[in-house]
Amino acid sequence: MSALQTFMLVVEHDKDEAKSIANGVAKDLESKKTTLIGIVQQLGEYINDEDPILRGKAVSFLTAVIKALPPKFLSRQQIQVLTSFFCDRIEDGGAVAGLDTLQRLDRFTNELAAEVAQAIFSHFQDLQSRSQTQRFQVYQLLNELMSSHRDALREMGDTSLVGIVDLMTGEKDPRNLMMVFSIMKVVMMEWDISNHVELLFDSVYNYFPITFRPPPNDPYGITAQDLKGRLQDCIASTRHFAPHSIPALLEKLDSTSPNVKKDALNALIACIKSYDPDTVSRYSITIWEVLKFEILNAQEEFLSDSSLQALHAIAQRLSEGSTSASQDLPLAQYLRPITKECNEQLQEPQQKQAKPAQQILKSLSSASAIAFTVVIKAVVAPIFTVYQEADGIAKQRALLETFSVLFESATQVFGQWTTRGGEFSIENPLHEFKDQFSDVFGQALMGSAKEEISFRVTALKGFLRLSVLRDFFQDNEIGLFVQYLDEILLKETVTGRDDLKREAIAALTEISKHKPRLIMDITFPAFVATLPDESDGSDQTYLATLDILAQISVERDIFETLFRRLYSKFTILLQKEQPGVIAYPRAILVTLLYVMQQRKMDADPSIDLYFEKIVVGLCSSVSASASGAGKNRILNDPTVLDTLGRICNLLVRAISAEKQSQVAQNIYKLFSSTEGFHVAPFASNATSDQARTMVISTYLLAGLSKDCGTKIPYASPDISELLTAVIRQSVLEDLEPTTQLAFLRHLALLVNKFLSKEDLGKAEALFSTIVSVENDTYNPATIRTIFWLSKALILRLAPSTTHVLTSLLRLLSSPDVQTSVSTARGFSILLGEDDVLSAANGASIRLLSKQRVFTTVVPIIAARIREVNVAGSEGLPTTADHIKPAHLAALAGILSTIPTDLVLTELPTLLPLLLQSLDLQNSESVAVRSATLDTLAVIIRDNGVAAIDKCGHVHSLVTRLLRTAEIKADAVNPPRLRADALKCLYLLAVKQVSPETTSHARLPPSISPLLPEKVQVLRSLRFVLDDPKRDVRKAAVDARSAWLRGVDDAPEEDD
Amino acid sequence: MAEVQNSNPTILSAADLPTRSRSTEKKQGDHKLGIFAAVPQPADFFSSDSEGDEDLLEEPIDEQEIFDLIKNISDPEHPLSLGELAVVSLPDIFIKPTLPAVPNSPLQTVTVLITPTITHCSLATVIGLGVRVRLEQSLPPRFRVDVRIKEGTHSTGDEVNKQLGDKERVAAALENGALMQVIAKMMETCQ
Repeated sequence: MSALQTFMLVVEHDKDEAKSIANGVAKDLESKKTTLIGIVQQLGEYINDEDPILRGKAVSFLTAVIKALPPKFLSRQQIQVLTSFFCDRIEDGGAVAGLDTLQRLDRFTNELAAEVAQAIFSHFQDLQSRSQTQRFQVYQLLNELMSSHRDALREMGDTSLVGIVDLMTGEKDPRNLMMVFSIMKVVMMEWDISNHVELLFDSVYNYFPITFRPPPNDPYGITAQDLKGRLQDCIASTRHFAPHSIPALLEKLDSTSPNVKKDALNALIACIKSYDPDTVSRYSITIWEVLKFEILNAQEEFLSDSSLQALHAIAQRLSEGSTSASQDLPLAQYLRPITKECNEQLQEPQQKQAKPAQQILKSLSSASAIAFTVVIKAVVAPIFTVYQEADGIAKQRALLETFSVLFESATQVFGQWTTRGGEFSIENPLHEFKDQFSDVFGQALMGSAKEEISFRVTALKGFLRLSVLRDFFQDNEIGLFVQYLDEILLKETVTGRDDLKREAIAALTEISKHKPRLIMDITFPAFVATLPDESDGSDQTYLATLDILAQISVERDIFETLFRRLYSKFTILLQKEQPGVIAYPRAILVTLLYVMQQRKMDADPSIDLYFEKIVVGLCSSVSASASGAGKNRILNDPTVLDTLGRICNLLVRAISAEKQSQVAQNIYKLFSSTEGFHVAPFASNATSDQARTMVISTYLLAGLSKDCGTKIPYASPDISELLTAVIRQSVLEDLEPTTQLAFLRHLALLVNKFLSKEDLGKAEALFSTIVSVENDTYNPATIRTIFWLSKALILRLAPSTTHVLTSLLRLLSSPDVQTSVSTARGFSILLGEDDVLSAANGASIRLLSKQRVFTTVVPIIAARIREVNVAGSEGLPTTADHIKPAHLAALAGILSTIPTDLVLTELPTLLPLLLQSLDLQNSESVAVRSATLDTLAVIIRDNGVAAIDKCGHVHSLVTRLLRTAEIKADAVNPPRLRADALKCLYLLAVKQVSPETTSHARLPPSISPLLPEKVQVLRSLRFVLDDPKRDVRKAAVDARSAWLRGVDDAPEEDD
Repeated sequence: MAEVQNSNPTILSAADLPTRSRSTEKKQGDHKLGIFAAVPQPADFFSSDSEGDEDLLEEPIDEQEIFDLIKNISDPEHPLSLGELAVVSLPDIFIKPTLPAVPNSPLQTVTVLITPTITHCSLATVIGLGVRVRLEQSLPPRFRVDVRIKEGTHSTGDEVNKQLGDKERVAAALENGALMQVIAKMMETCQ
């Protein structure tokens, strides 16, 4: 049997075998064992057979052989012969593939390409009756010819144009259309189409609008948007289409379907952006006439937005190449009817259509400097006239808003002071009205009645826009505005809402970015002058002043000024014998802290100055004060020390390694020069003033990088002694809370951040010494210490993590109520965020620590509660009443620090526990119940009712929520708890469809699991509507209307 | 929907609508300014939430609260709220004891006067119904709701009032599916 015959036998069921046969023949050809002529002659027997399948197989053989040949093997002449052969047989299977192989060869010529194209056009008149794959192959061949032999096809002129149109007419498959559209686009853009514009346009426009919806799990991944995009490219491809495309698209805006209108608008925008300006100009006014309706009577916001975009695009195109705003420009002609219409609408600026008119002006004026100029010349003067004649403040306000919108466009066109580059040859047309604007806005801001807040806010915002507009106001004019703002902030007292003050601060902040000097020269002296030398506490206006200074001082130069001024105020206070209330110096420090938090301190060139003054300077004053050498007690105050510590912490993080090691050495003696300074951790009989310096030490320690560990005093060679010393202090009962917290954090920092892996065992050993199995009674201070030590170990996932957690859980069951309750509260410490032991301070917080705690603790708590419940129901002597609430409280503490997706994995176990927490009714359980409601709210919000329903607890949950929302004699439900319970009820009703299932499209309409509860919920909530607290009533109204509206027999079909 | 009857009504800015001023509610001591509220006080983390005196203070339902309940209802014609269109306004809301002769009676009557945007607005009844439904759903049972067109603001005001005041007719109207859909749509914006 010949190779051909074998090939024909196997080709259908064994592709690989067929391929290897073809490869063999190709090898023979290469080695000249056989000739091409020979092979073609072999085919003779079959290629005239009546059976098309047989013919196809024979041709495929030839194609397969050619495919297997090396690319340079065939001579030009052979290619020619083969091409002709395939073209003759093009309808037979395999021929198109053969041609595709041939046209890839270097020796394939343009003439041959034309021949192939001709063959396609004449033989495939009936293409649309063939299968999708066959059609796809033909398009693909054509597409290949288009990319490698485009000239040849173009030279065929109308023949190829008409040929291609005929070929694709009637095509419906999205995969094929994707290719067809891209072929068509090339023809439209590169062929001379003058004789066939309409034919070509119709051939693609017939597909508009695209209504294709991909089938579920579409393997080809073609979306309607892909098709829309390609079709749109075709429609927008050439300006010759304009007489057809623009009227047709505008007509589509009469459609009742918003989606069709959206597609039409998008195509229109594409046309405007692609056709040349002359063409766009011809249709500009027609387009405006139609789009006007869409904007002024907006049905859907996105349609009005797209329409505005189209108008904007026209203005942009018509501005191309223009350099001055002459009245005969096509742009000016286009804008004339528009500005006329807007001016008419703005005569009554409070009416509904004035708003769209504003938007029209905004989108047109922001198109270009020329367009801006034309618009300004047409509208500003008339608006001023309406303004002068306006009979009420509300009307004037609407007009100021219109101006403000134009200023926004000006900013887009001309930039702000801080904008770089892009100078304009055209002068800003607003200059002509500069003084008028300054007068009108200044008058509105400062001259109108003080309580016209919204009017003045509008004026303020407009004035601000002008002030930051590049090259518009002179510095003295902006300075005037700054003075107005200062006056508002310093002299006016707030009545009602403080919107105006808030906006004034925002405006000063904004100006500080553009003109920092004005702020430093005008605002600073005015504000600092109002700060007292000391405060007796009766007048708290300094708080407002400091607040404002903090907000406007984020810019670098301004901050340095702020720092110098406030630092000197603070040091003066330190020198006074009678410094007044402590709140004032603290507020000064808080101000500095706030601004530093907003800035990148490590990039600040003045960081060394701040370091010297604050860390070195004030810390040594702290140590002096601690030993009683201070003039007053400012630096002995815990709140002042805490704030100062935070500032030091920020600074230490930002300084160089060299300075850090200096800090490390001074952790305890705080830069004091006195010998024999009291080292807080080791002082056995320290005064509380001395112990309090630990606050600063701890913040300094937190800011140090890990590398400084060895430089910390007493940390090497053996750190155990230091740890023991800190613990000895932290377990003391009578420490001030601030001081104790400092010791606890200090301990945690040392163990978590600075302890090496090898030394970790020392900390774990310490833990075991404190928490011994025999002992189950501890005082609260010890329990706190235990938890902070545990926190430090758990966050870095020390080897003993599980042991630590089980030991803590054991304490929950302590027969001593005090121990059990304190332990329960401690659980929120374990994973809770802390300002000191934080990632920002370089603490080692392993990602899996939360999961580890969660998976260890929850099963144990669940089991223990079950035990207690069983014991209770069997009437056994209950261990103690406090044990169950303690476990629930511990659980609430853990849950409040765990991400929901983790919580969700254990929901079936957790939900019964959460419900039991809601059953607690006394006042001690308020915190637990509140945390539980928070957790429930998050679960419902993220996962919907389905999550609850899956565990089968909808009814139990609803009943308990309703009970928590009520005011009853035998239950303590404070307002916040009632409101939270109502919020959960509200969330249940609005989250009936979980976010996951919506993507899976159509589920059979199911009955809501909430339906059985509806009557009861509505009835109970009716009485909650009479709650004495307004916030609770509000929550009840929302919950009730959500249930009324949302809980129904069948979910609504959303279309 | 049929042709829009008043396509270009006057609009109040949302910022100008009356609101409850927060400052009068809070105690002076709580008054912490911007940045000072953000910085945490060093507090004892073990302290549990304490119940303040504030919790005991009663806040009765007042006119502002009624206004807040209905101001966000959308107009059936425009994507605007009744508050912005000044269809409902604070001075046109009254709360009075239903039985002034019985001093201890908890019964209260809420009267809301509606001002249609134009005098021949055929949707006045629908708006009135919407307000009524919203209030009946949101107020406790001891409240009676009375919604009327403000005198002199509508050409057939009396006719509309009769319809809004007639319990039977209101009940019948609420059985009407198409009407309820319109009203449900109006209330979607209530939050």
